[in-house]
Amino acid sequence: MASIGARFRGVLGSFRISPFAVWVGILGVILLVGVAAGLMVFIKGLSITNLNDLVPWGLWITMDLSSIALSAGAFLLCAAVYLLGLKQLQPVARTATFVGLIGYSMALLALIMDIGRPDRFWHSIIFWNTHSVMWEVTMCILLYFAVLILEAAPILGGAAWFRNRWPKLAGQLQTVHQWAPVLAIVGLFLSLLHQSSLGAAYGVLKARPIWYRPDMSVLFIASAIAAGPSLTVLISMIAARVSRKVHVDDRLLERVGSFIGWVLVVYLYFRFWDAFAMTYTYTPGRTEGLQLLTRGPLAFNFWVLEIVLGALVPIIILLRPKLRARQALRMVALALVVVGVVAYRWDTNLAGQLTVVTYLPSEIITRYTTYVPSPVEILSSAGVLAYGALAITLGVRYLNVVDHRTRETDIHVVAPAVALPASD
Amino acid sequence: MSEDTIGRRGFLKAAATGALAIAGLKVVRAARASEPEGSSPNSWGMVIDQRLCTGCGQCTLACRAHNDVNPEISWNRVIVAGEVDGKTVYLPRPCMHCEKPPCAEVCPVGATYHRPDGIIMMDYDKCIGCRYCEVACPYGARAFNWEAFTGPNPAVPEWGQPEVARRPRGVPEKCSFCYQRIDRGLGLGLHPGIDPEATPACVVACPVGARLFGNLNDPDSNVSQALAGSPHYRLREDLGTGPRVYYLPARKEA
Repeated sequence: MASIGARFRGVLGSFRISPFAVWVGILGVILLVGVAAGLMVFIKGLSITNLNDLVPWGLWITMDLSSIALSAGAFLLCAAVYLLGLKQLQPVARTATFVGLIGYSMALLALIMDIGRPDRFWHSIIFWNTHSVMWEVTMCILLYFAVLILEAAPILGGAAWFRNRWPKLAGQLQTVHQWAPVLAIVGLFLSLLHQSSLGAAYGVLKARPIWYRPDMSVLFIASAIAAGPSLTVLISMIAARVSRKVHVDDRLLERVGSFIGWVLVVYLYFRFWDAFAMTYTYTPGRTEGLQLLTRGPLAFNFWVLEIVLGALVPIIILLRPKLRARQALRMVALALVVVGVVAYRWDTNLAGQLTVVTYLPSEIITRYTTYVPSPVEILSSAGVLAYGALAITLGVRYLNVVDHRTRETDIHVVAPAVALPASD
Repeated sequence: MSEDTIGRRGFLKAAATGALAIAGLKVVRAARASEPEGSSPNSWGMVIDQRLCTGCGQCTLACRAHNDVNPEISWNRVIVAGEVDGKTVYLPRPCMHCEKPPCAEVCPVGATYHRPDGIIMMDYDKCIGCRYCEVACPYGARAFNWEAFTGPNPAVPEWGQPEVARRPRGVPEKCSFCYQRIDRGLGLGLHPGIDPEATPACVVACPVGARLFGNLNDPDSNVSQALAGSPHYRLREDLGTGPRVYYLPARKEA
């Protein structure tokens, strides 16, 4: 037996399969399975999901919201570099922009599966109900996706293999970089809008008392501001560990880490008062929704994933310089922030739907329902995740998206003149 | 001269601001999705008398036939609401056709809209199937087409003939107050609520006459008269949605 094992290892060794190839291979397989699941959704429709008329929004919406929240690093770091003038963060902003571009494309993939009529996705662009929060979110996401494509264009234009093959196009793509400050302003505006109003999409629904709170938008943007840079820094650190070609300036990443720690404090502060205020007096639906979180089926997610691991532990690690300086510990903290925000989106989405407020005249009572995603929902979501991981892996390898030694050659921190004649 | 340049720049700025302001105003004006466009002399409403309703469910069946509804979906559910004097009280629940419809306010593409006569309509050809309306409705009045409804409708022909097109897979559907009967009836000079051909199928089908339909704007209409004469309530009035469906409650015998 041992000899067979040895021979097998020998065969493997002769092929010289690199860890990179194994990683890409695994992601590729998950991606293929996900594509198959996604096709099944398109062919058979949403009846093969566990979504129903009581819980019409499930795992895909969580994917969608989480991807967008975790992409928030792009607008924040671009604003820091091009608006606040923190030029040294420019390489981190470059990573964040790429992660953001992939994140928003993941959100769009999850959405196209989630809507009942994917063939009519373009209706959301041409038919407007400007009163709808969802309309505003849709417009912002599409426009911001365009901004991210422009912001990421110089990354492609700067890649050596691309420059060698298409030097002229590469040059054109790189010139987009001179618009970085303008794009940063537009991106900041669009992101502040939709990152908050994704929370408001829940917050404006009077029919769902646990959602119907003005703080929803504040909590969504605060958690996104913590989680977005967390993912960017985490990816940078992982890339630097697994590849000798990736060079990072750890002091920069540490600085962003401490910023994340403070944002988490602010988020937890809002979160505390928001939840605490709801514990006073009985409100039908709201009280039950809160109980679902604090001692119901979502209690583990809420206390452990969202509050303790998602906020308290990272706050301690990221705000204590000695702990933060330890890279492994910092990576754990950043990963926990990511897990925490995903758990927050999942719990928020479910708390409002698992509690069904009746409309019977005698008394307003709350009934409970359940939701567990179906295999096809899980596999298709895994496919979207694998796509994201694959895209970022390839970006790190072939587009140098994590490289703190390079600086864009022609950084104009001052907004470029909009071709107006000088006044004198 | 610098003055000329500043002037031009100032003009451009002013023009841009003006254009933005006009666009903004247009957007704000269009933003009142909960308000109907145009006006109508009619304001359709329904009165359901819980003292009479026996919970037989014939309204649901007639609705399914006339609107060609999937047997797994009820536009008009009949719910057990409690007990009075040892007798079960039922609550039939169509779409409330709210004065301030949360569904129409949240629909990103405007597929759900408010007609001037008060009916909340669905444009099934516009809907993208995001289900925000379903999440927003406090009355559970909407049902999503998780799969296509194919094959024969078991309610047809016993309970009536389909009058509208079947909805495709992937869009939510709901009660429309049988707008097709109202619109066709008005065109023929009939009176919705009086002439059966112009009245919602559930009202016509009710064997005990527990449902009334008519124009709430007309003080002499049967619905206005019924409401003037008896105590009534609407579902979840605390939400401020302003339902157009009124209930006459079952009460203890004095």
